[in-house]
Amino acid sequence: MKPILMAWLAVSGALAADDRDDRFVRELDDAARVASVMVDGDACARIVTARAMEYLLRDDPKDRFLAGDNYDVNYDAFDSVKKTLIRISRLVSFPADANVWMPIPGHPDKIRVVIRNVNELSQFWPWGALYQNMIPEMKTVLDTGRRVTVAQKPGWVSVLAPVSDSLGEIVAVVEVASQRQLDPQGNVK
Amino acid sequence: MRRSLVLIRAVLIRVVPLSIVLWSAACTQAAELHVQPEYLRTAPDGEIVPADRAAAGHPRPSSLAGARMGYVSLQVIAKLGAPGEYSLELTPASGLQVDVFREWYHALDKEKTYYPDALHPVRMPYASRLPEPDNRIPGQKAQAFWVDVWIPGNARPGEYRLQFRLKSPEGAAEVTVPIRVLAATVPEQDVVAIDHNSYGSSWIGDLYARERRRTGADFFRSDAFFKLIHAYHRIFYEHRGLFHQLGYGHAGKVGPEFAPALKGTGRGKHVANWELFDRHYGPLFDGTAFTQTRRGARPIPFAYLPINPEWPASYLWWGEPGYEVEFVNVVSAMERHFREKNWTGTRLELFFNHKKRYMGFPWDGDEVRFPEDNRYLREYGRLLRKAVPQDSPVKFVFRADVSWDMEQQSKDLAGIVNMWICGGGILSWYPDAARAMKQRGDTVWFYSGPPDVTQVSAKITEFPLQAWLWGIDGYVHWLTVDAGPDPWFHFDGGGTALVYSGERFGIEQPIPSIRLKIQRNAVQDLALLDSFKTRRPVVELRAEAARRFNGSRPQDWWNPRPPLADRPSLEWTNDEIDAASAQTRQMLEKTAANSWENVHEFVMQLAGDLK
Repeated sequence: MKPILMAWLAVSGALAADDRDDRFVRELDDAARVASVMVDGDACARIVTARAMEYLLRDDPKDRFLAGDNYDVNYDAFDSVKKTLIRISRLVSFPADANVWMPIPGHPDKIRVVIRNVNELSQFWPWGALYQNMIPEMKTVLDTGRRVTVAQKPGWVSVLAPVSDSLGEIVAVVEVASQRQLDPQGNVK
Repeated sequence: MRRSLVLIRAVLIRVVPLSIVLWSAACTQAAELHVQPEYLRTAPDGEIVPADRAAAGHPRPSSLAGARMGYVSLQVIAKLGAPGEYSLELTPASGLQVDVFREWYHALDKEKTYYPDALHPVRMPYASRLPEPDNRIPGQKAQAFWVDVWIPGNARPGEYRLQFRLKSPEGAAEVTVPIRVLAATVPEQDVVAIDHNSYGSSWIGDLYARERRRTGADFFRSDAFFKLIHAYHRIFYEHRGLFHQLGYGHAGKVGPEFAPALKGTGRGKHVANWELFDRHYGPLFDGTAFTQTRRGARPIPFAYLPINPEWPASYLWWGEPGYEVEFVNVVSAMERHFREKNWTGTRLELFFNHKKRYMGFPWDGDEVRFPEDNRYLREYGRLLRKAVPQDSPVKFVFRADVSWDMEQQSKDLAGIVNMWICGGGILSWYPDAARAMKQRGDTVWFYSGPPDVTQVSAKITEFPLQAWLWGIDGYVHWLTVDAGPDPWFHFDGGGTALVYSGERFGIEQPIPSIRLKIQRNAVQDLALLDSFKTRRPVVELRAEAARRFNGSRPQDWWNPRPPLADRPSLEWTNDEIDAASAQTRQMLEKTAANSWENVHEFVMQLAGDLK
């Protein structure tokens, strides 16, 4: 294990201990724990179409929208997982979102968000990205199957939880996220 | 040292003969006053900006002419030989109303130069010094002022004169500008709708930080906030345009001021509170937000509804009976509320802006590319019909912003979608589709974005002219309120802004731009020109306008249908789309700063024939 990752795990563990009595964090953690059970990893894997995956990493300097313009999903898989995520977010007594993230096969240094929800709450997603560099905390979840609580941005908490498929492989991460002070006007764009 | 130089260079008052409009008189003496037409912008040294310079040598109008209920615009440039104080005075003409704006010179990082655009309203007499202390341009020698002359409906036709007088320690200068008021009247209604789009409201809090601090934590529920929203509608309305604010995000979050508050779920879902919605939209839907305007109180013609896949029905119920129940119950309540309030003058748009690439929903609402996504639009059409009584006086419309698959969509969704906002490049291949949509009574606009300030001044007039030549209803600037983090000293060119925050000038409302003014004057000319179709066939009017604009023919504003159009849009690339739209793009590269002036002269010529 790399020293940076070890140091980070120590920090995140300390943070979880500090926040043990924080109802805000506890509710998010409870929801994330349920997400690990309820979210169907096989359905997650079916969401983005094979055609869209072919375009996802293509970089055409003459057509910067190439991947986005060809992004497509399978409706049924998307809806099935999205509805589960909505239900999970309703386990929390304040506005929160549950998002699904997935690695990109053959590109262990990359990760992508696959489903987001109504408040557009995430500590990790730069607006508009189809994929991005692997987030160390998510890599930890994918590698270890442990839930991880992240409070990088002031006032924000995300609990990352593993999602498994029918083979027992961890194939996705659910981010259950909220802000202690929600901005009613934020993300209306 | 500086003082003695000023004394030596002091000159006598220079009076321009009244019968002659002295356009940018060449004069080497200090304390000069120049007049420029609206399309020749000047830099802080008083020279024409590079983008407009090629038009500077062309013949200029012998006088400024305008019709009643319209504007005439010009620019006055005060120039000094050395830094120092100056004042500008105006003797207005009785019967005309004059607004004067100081032009702000934006520092462009990329081009390492200055262009004027934001217009700071000033009162006459105006006193300051060069360099202007707030614009902070070392060596600034000239300050330009934009002058709007409003010709009221009851103005007497004939000659009027505006006198401007510059005073400074270097001396004084005076110029008189004759204005010829014609008997013609600009129609109240525009022949093309020019829309200015925006997203959400958080930007208002950012642009008016001082007002937000003054108001406190409740800013977004305050009267000050709603006054600002209405001020944005007002500034675009006064410039013969429309303003749209989309009230929801790509995953369905609705801003509280854009929708009634809802409670409950399933059969129990209902409108709990209209307060913020009514404070926002009431004055816009009944027109009272515009009572103090020159154009008069009138309801806004269009507005987005907050409806999206997550509002008013939760996406959790999509495909289940609960979705329809929640949707129909709430939209029906909205229809009843609007009817009771008599808000029947605005077309309320059911519109989906989301894209699946933003991962909120599994289908594209905006710019559908995958034909299967159309089934969602059909379903929402069904739900809307179920929610709104057929004989309702409230005008609900179904709007779709289309590009890739617009030709097929225009056929497949006929009778469902009745407001089409089309990508201009692709629409240029499909005159028959545009004609068919118009013939069945649909509203058709096209979209693009504002030109940067570094493009020729008349660039912005291409859009209204193109809409009129195409015979469609309007045009949308996709974003018009985002001037970047520092438009004053590190400007990005203004490709997403046509107005600016007035806060740095102590004005808690938006201020206009030169581009917005030029666009307004073109739109009013088009309204007047189109009104002459009772005397001359509109095809002749269009042909002459196109010829005068850039030597083109109306058919040159369409592109030939490319072979690409007969392949599935899923196979297209953006490169191919660009190539297939090259003909009109190349034609429009020839637009000159004075292109619209040539059209304006044609309009004035026709208007002058009216007795």
